[in-house]
This record gives sequence, structure tokens and C-alpha cells, in this order.
Amino acid sequence: MIGVGAAGAAVGATTAERSPAGADAFGRAQSPHRQGWRTLELGHLDPAAERPFWVALAQVPGVGPVGFARLLHRYGSARAAWAAGAELLAELPRVTGEATTALRHLRREGPSAVLARVERATRLAGGEVLTVLDAAYPRSLSEIDPRPPVLFVAGSSDAFDAPGVAVVGTRRATGYGRACAADLGDELARAGVTVISGLALGIDGEAHAAAVAAGGRSIGVLPSPLDRIYPPRHRELARRMLACGGALVSELATGQSIGRPDFARRNRIIAGLARAVVVVEAPDRSGALLTAAAAVDYGRDLHAVPGPIDAVASAGCNRLIADHLASLVTSPAALLHAIGTSAGRRPVSVASLSEAEGLVLGGLLRRSGSIEEMIGRTGLRTGVLASALTLLEARGLVDNYGGATFHPTLAARRIGTVPDRAR
Amino acid sequence: MLAETLSASILGVDGVPVRVEVDVAFGLPALTIVGLAGSQVQEARERVRSALRNSGFEVPARRITVNLAPADLPKDGTGYDLAIAVGILAASGQLPRHDRLSVTGLVGELALDGALRPVAGTMALAAAVRDAGVPEMIVPGASVGEAATAGVRAYGAATLGHAIRHLAGVEMMVAGAAALPASLPQEAAGPDLAEVDGQQVARRALEIAVAGHHNLALCGPPGIGKTLLLRCAAGLLPPLEDDEAVAVSRIYSVAGLLDRRAPLVRARPFRAPHHTISTQALVGGGPRVRPGEASLGHRGVLMLDETLQFRADALDALREPLESGSVTIARVEGALSLPARFTLLAAFNPCPCGWRGSHGRACTCEDAVARRYTARLSGPLRDRIDLWVTMAEPERRTAGSASRSRHPEASRVVAARVAAAWRRQLDRQGRANAELPAPQFDERHGFAAPLLELLTRRGRRFGLSPRRMHRTARVARTVADLEGESTVNALHLDEALRYRAAALP
Repeated sequence: MIGVGAAGAAVGATTAERSPAGADAFGRAQSPHRQGWRTLELGHLDPAAERPFWVALAQVPGVGPVGFARLLHRYGSARAAWAAGAELLAELPRVTGEATTALRHLRREGPSAVLARVERATRLAGGEVLTVLDAAYPRSLSEIDPRPPVLFVAGSSDAFDAPGVAVVGTRRATGYGRACAADLGDELARAGVTVISGLALGIDGEAHAAAVAAGGRSIGVLPSPLDRIYPPRHRELARRMLACGGALVSELATGQSIGRPDFARRNRIIAGLARAVVVVEAPDRSGALLTAAAAVDYGRDLHAVPGPIDAVASAGCNRLIADHLASLVTSPAALLHAIGTSAGRRPVSVASLSEAEGLVLGGLLRRSGSIEEMIGRTGLRTGVLASALTLLEARGLVDNYGGATFHPTLAARRIGTVPDRAR
Repeated sequence: MLAETLSASILGVDGVPVRVEVDVAFGLPALTIVGLAGSQVQEARERVRSALRNSGFEVPARRITVNLAPADLPKDGTGYDLAIAVGILAASGQLPRHDRLSVTGLVGELALDGALRPVAGTMALAAAVRDAGVPEMIVPGASVGEAATAGVRAYGAATLGHAIRHLAGVEMMVAGAAALPASLPQEAAGPDLAEVDGQQVARRALEIAVAGHHNLALCGPPGIGKTLLLRCAAGLLPPLEDDEAVAVSRIYSVAGLLDRRAPLVRARPFRAPHHTISTQALVGGGPRVRPGEASLGHRGVLMLDETLQFRADALDALREPLESGSVTIARVEGALSLPARFTLLAAFNPCPCGWRGSHGRACTCEDAVARRYTARLSGPLRDRIDLWVTMAEPERRTAGSASRSRHPEASRVVAARVAAAWRRQLDRQGRANAELPAPQFDERHGFAAPLLELLTRRGRRFGLSPRRMHRTARVARTVADLEGESTVNALHLDEALRYRAAALP
């Protein structure tokens, strides 16, 4: 955990704001979880009666997952905490004037009115409100500490029952990272595993898209409220994920504005929901390393896709492997084996390829490369290579993910026995 | 007494005949110039006065009125001096015969000692004089070739005195010769392709771009040879056809950039303006409309190195010429059209730091900053770029072996292929493939029905707009021409599709 370095430091910084001095969320402090969720007894609370108070309390700025647990420790229930009035703010690590004002407004409105308002707005955004007490609250999240007291969820709630694997990585992905994310997303989905990620640009989006394209389930954890999908460019992707039986999860009520800490908190939920976490491509100081750190803390299996040792974009992944924090992913199939599933049945269609196309695809299957490199390896003319690559791309056998390097797709690997004439 | 001489004015890149009417009447001595004369024309009074006196003539102590007709056309420049001076002499009876005045156009700036100095745009002015039905013209000696090229009988006069003696029939000058049409081999311009190591894809795309006049964009990290490669284009361009040479020379004449010793531009222009250029300097304009870089690149290349560093409004102003081949400048008095059919060669980094998406270095730009950066290339402008190449620095494992093993082709070899492909285009359709209208994608131009079906299928697969599909078809036509084939086949089309636009970060 300590080995995550810069990312670890960032975790410390964000959680320090929300917890008493020294006690950080990942158990590195002297007295871990004394006031955390794990030691709380919640069984005796009546979900229906508590619900308005949980939702209302969660609306107070500064009452995060950590602060909420402290309130429950102090008062026993959200209803009792609410009854304490402005006093409850004294329990929180840091109280702003904003929190005092917000609490006063919320109290004037009344908890049931707050609940009705939040539920209506969430329903309009196509979601529902879940508290930790609800039966539908994701079981995997109720193991972690701190856990979000209130969640906003769109889509089918049984998406959380199936085993899920998180595929995360940098937004500034290279073609290699994108190709790996797409391969993993596709294989996992075909094996019936839910692909969990953060819906961000780059690796996240690639994994979600591949899972959806393979007809699988995918859960996106948003840094933003359900009504403001971030990034906006992935609105359509989110819609397709919901259509495929997936879900969207957010910690923020609709209408709330998002800030930097929300991205870090989102990463914790990703790790919490998943059974295992795969970091596909992450430079040093990537947000994906926060997810990795959380995965270690929650006892999730951590895997990382290695990159060349001179690749900046893979430096974080390589470090995770070198520090023995993550196991090395050699192939999608090996990952499936590691998490105890086997590959799903896959349709295999052998396409008829011309000699040049077979030569190019065969070369790429051995090692991805740019047209430049393929010229050296195959000895073909630039024009011939260019047109062969377009044809292979049109057939969905290679992809360059917008960069200069071409990668064979999973479909190409499945053909497997391409005439081996390269070289 | 009244006299009338003929001169001409520049409007955009065209000449307009201007009649110079001079009236010498009784009254207080004065010299007045009317007819929307700008300050340079007003100053002609002093130049003309001194030149007349110093050439041994008399400036009549009368009331002299000069009118430049049409009077509603704003006039600027110093080219009217000669016409005004001759007009004053004729109106004051110092020129014995007037018969030649109606068949001779007069253009030139006067020095105070009576010498004639050349003015910009003589070629366009001469063409205007010729079009007005006037067969002869007196111009400053240095401009005689330029004027003769426009098709008038041009006499080059060194001084006002020479011009007057010619007009009076005392001492006739010999008409100057027109510049020879471009037949000599051009000297190589720009760096040689042999200096470019590797980057086979970008080289190939450049060859296609110059052969068919397609617009090209190179995107990649700094220092991998984008600029060097584009500069090589100067030495690859196909020869300039005769009619094109006249049009290009006229623009250069108006801009004052013509080499007066060889007043016909013989090579395709290669313009590479700096990225700090203003919108007016790029597309033309100004109080007295002057052609911009876009027009100076007419029938040639406009290279925009560091394209994304150009002002966004300057880039957007290129949309019109890229689509229509001309720039329209709207004025209260009416719209002016300047020819600007250039091939755009663009090179830029994918983000401000330049390393986004690259293998060996981390990009240090914020996502929003990088997006704003690439957004400067607006959608409509992207749509008009035919060939896109994403360049990458060679990976370490191949840097030594693959690229060095072959000898890079020299510009001479590539230029020969380009010239042959250009000749095929001219023979088939009389214009560049980039200008081939979509309805002509037919058998006669080498597009068979199955190929067009394939284009539609591929277009759907890769999500191309109809405009992009048309542009792809034109590029495929050029690929076939470079291969020396009359029919476009699937391989040509697939290669053209390889250079389709990539998503920018």
C-alpha cells in the first residue's frame, strides 16, 4: 500500500479532511475504525423510519461517509442525530459556514419533505435512492469502510448481485491501453462477469464500451449526480449500458455540483463494488492508483496490465507489479482463470484474407506496430500496407484507437490460425 | 482646353480602366485632383509639377482640374502620375498631336526629375487596358515584360521625356517582348526528401496530396520531422500550366512580388506564413484590398506550420477558399472576389505540450486545455482536409533497424511520379482530382459501380459524411493516377481511407 507513493499520499490528503487527525480511511493509523462503519450495530434500526433522516443528513455538506459513521456512533441513529440539531456539527472533522446554513435550511424543510424532494428528483433522472439500511443496497459495498450512507442508483439493481470486476486506468490512454481495456471488457462480459468502471474517458470508457458491445452487463460509478453524467461525451455510452441491464451509481444527489474530491471518492466505490480490480494503464499519480489503493484496503484482488518499462503511461502499473501489490495480467483468459471463471463460448468466424492482409495481420498478432514498423517487418510497400490495414479495420480485425500503432482485436486473436507468412 | 488619357486601377487582383480627364482653364493657378483620389494620388500633384518642370516642360499658371473616371471608384497608388502629366501637357498645348493618346494606356510613377518608376500590378493594369480595346501602352522600362505578357504592345520609357517624344511621334520606342511561357525545367526548391529519415506514411500522404491537390494534415509530437517533410513539398509540385502561370503572375504583380526581370511565375507558389499572421494578411483585405497569403498560394501550396497556433478566426476564414477556391471580401461598395485555390498543408502538435498520446513522454496538459487547443481546428475546417496522418516518434526497438535500412527516395524521383500523375489528370478531366465534381464519379473517370458501392459500405462502416466520402473518392483517384492506372480499384480506395480523419484528443 505504502508503495503506491504519490497516489497514497493523495489518498491521505483527501481523507484527512474528513477524519480526525491520524485516523485515515485505509487503516494506516494507530486506532483504525474505532469510529468507522465496521463496529456499528445497525440491525436494530427500522429502515423505513430512519430513511428520511439518513437522506436529509447526507445532504449536509461535510457529512461524508466518515462523518456519517461518527454521527451514528455518537447518537445511535440518524433520527437521534437529527434531533440534536446544530450540535451534531460539532462531531464533524471540519465544519464550514456553508454546512451550518444548509443544516438550518434542511431542518426548516423537514426530513420527510427533503426525502420526497430528493426521491422525486432522482426518479426524474431515472434512478432511486438507497441507504445502507435498504435491502437493495449493494452487498459488496456493505463490507467496506467507510461506506457511502446514501447511494443514487439507476438501472437494474440485480446488476450488483453478479460478480463484478473493475477495469480502470488513465484517461490519457495510449492505443495499447485502449486495446487491452477493450479486450478485457469484451472477455469479461462474454464470461458473464460485470464490468465495473468510472465511465471516464480513456480506459474506463473503452472497457464499458467493449462490455456493452459484447452484450454484457456494466456498472458505471459516476463522479457526478445521475442527472449530469460526466463526462458528457459518454452520455450515449451510459444509455447503452443501462439498456444492457447495467447500472449507474452516484454518491451525489441530483443537482449537486461536483468537485475534485468526488473523483477520488468515486474510485473507492469502484473498488468496493468489485470482486477484483484490474489496472490497465496508469502513469504515476493516476486516479486509477487510488482505486488500486482502495482495492488493497478492501481486500480485493488487484491485477495490473504491464507495459514496456520505458512507457510513461504504464509506469504506475509496472510499479504495482514490482511492489507485489498487483498480480501481472498476461492475457484476458489468465485473468478470468485468476478470478475463478472460465472464458465464455465465443463465436469464431474465419475470414478470408488476401496474402498481404494475412501477412499484415499475422505480423500484428505477433506484435502490435505502426505502419512504419510493419513496412520494416513485412517488406510491403506503404500503399499496399495502408490499404490492407483499412480492409482489416473494416472487418473489425485491427484497430489503431486514433493513434499511429495498430493492434489486432480480440476477433482477430480468435481466428488464431492466421497463415503465418510474416518474415 | 480639355484632354483625356487612359490609365488603370487595381480592384482586388483585377485591373479597371481609368480615364484621366484634364481641364486647363482660366483662373487662379491651382492643380486639383478629383474622383475619390486617395492621399497617394493627391501627392501626385507635387510629383507631376516637379517632373514636368525638370523635364523641360512648363506647368501652366492656370486652373488645372484632373478628374479620374469612373469617379465612384476609390483610387490609390502612384500609377496615375504619367497619365496626369501627359494629360496636362496635352490640355495646355505642349503635345503637338493627340492621335496616339486614344490608343495608348499610360501607367507609371514619376520621380521629381522626370524618371519613370514601376508600380505594383502592372500586369493586371495592362490586361485592363487591353480589355478596354486599347492596343498599346507606355510603362516604366522595368515593367515592360510584365505588361507585354498581358497581351498589349508595351513600350518601356525611362523618363517622361521619352514617353512624350513617342506620343508626339518624334522618336518611336521599340515594343518590349513578352516573358517566355514556362518551358524551362524548374530549379529544385526546398529541402530534398532524401533528407527525411523514415516516416513512410507521411511521405506517401504528401506525395498524394501534391499530386492531386488534396489538403493534408500531419499531427504528431515535436521534433519528428513534420515541418521538414512539408517543406519538401516545394520541390515536388507538378509544373505550372501556362494559363495558370498567367493567373498566378497577375496576383503576384498586384502584390508587388513579381520578379521584374522574369515577370512570369514559372513554379507553383509555396507560401508558408508565420502563425502570428493576421486574418487580413492570410485571406486578403485591408482598406485598399490586397491579396493575402491564401491568394498568393493560388494554384500552389499554403503551408501552415503549427496550424493550431494560428488565430482561430484566421483559420476559419480559410473555410471559404478551401471550398470555393476564392476569397470574397465584402465592402459597402460591393463584394470583391480574389482567386485562392491552394493546397493546404498543415502540421500541428496534438496538444500544447505536444506529447499527448505518445509513447515515451507524458503529456502535461490539462484535458480541457488540450481539448480547447484542438478545437481551434473547427469541424467544418477538419471536414475539408482530405488526408490525415498521425505521426509517432519511432519506438526504441525499431528506431535503429527498420527505418535506416532503406535509402529514402529523393525528391527528384517522387516529383517525376507526381508530374506523371498530374499529366494523367489533365488529359482526363483538365483539372486536378481535388476539383473533380461528385457527379463525375463515373466510368469515364475510372469509377466503376462496384467501387462506388464499396465506398458507400466503407463510409457507413467508418461513419463518414457524404462530403468525406466524396473527398475519399477523389483521393483514391489520385492514388490510382500515381500507380498509373485508369481505373480506381478497391486497393486504391482502401489506401485513401487509411488517411481519413482521426479523432483528436
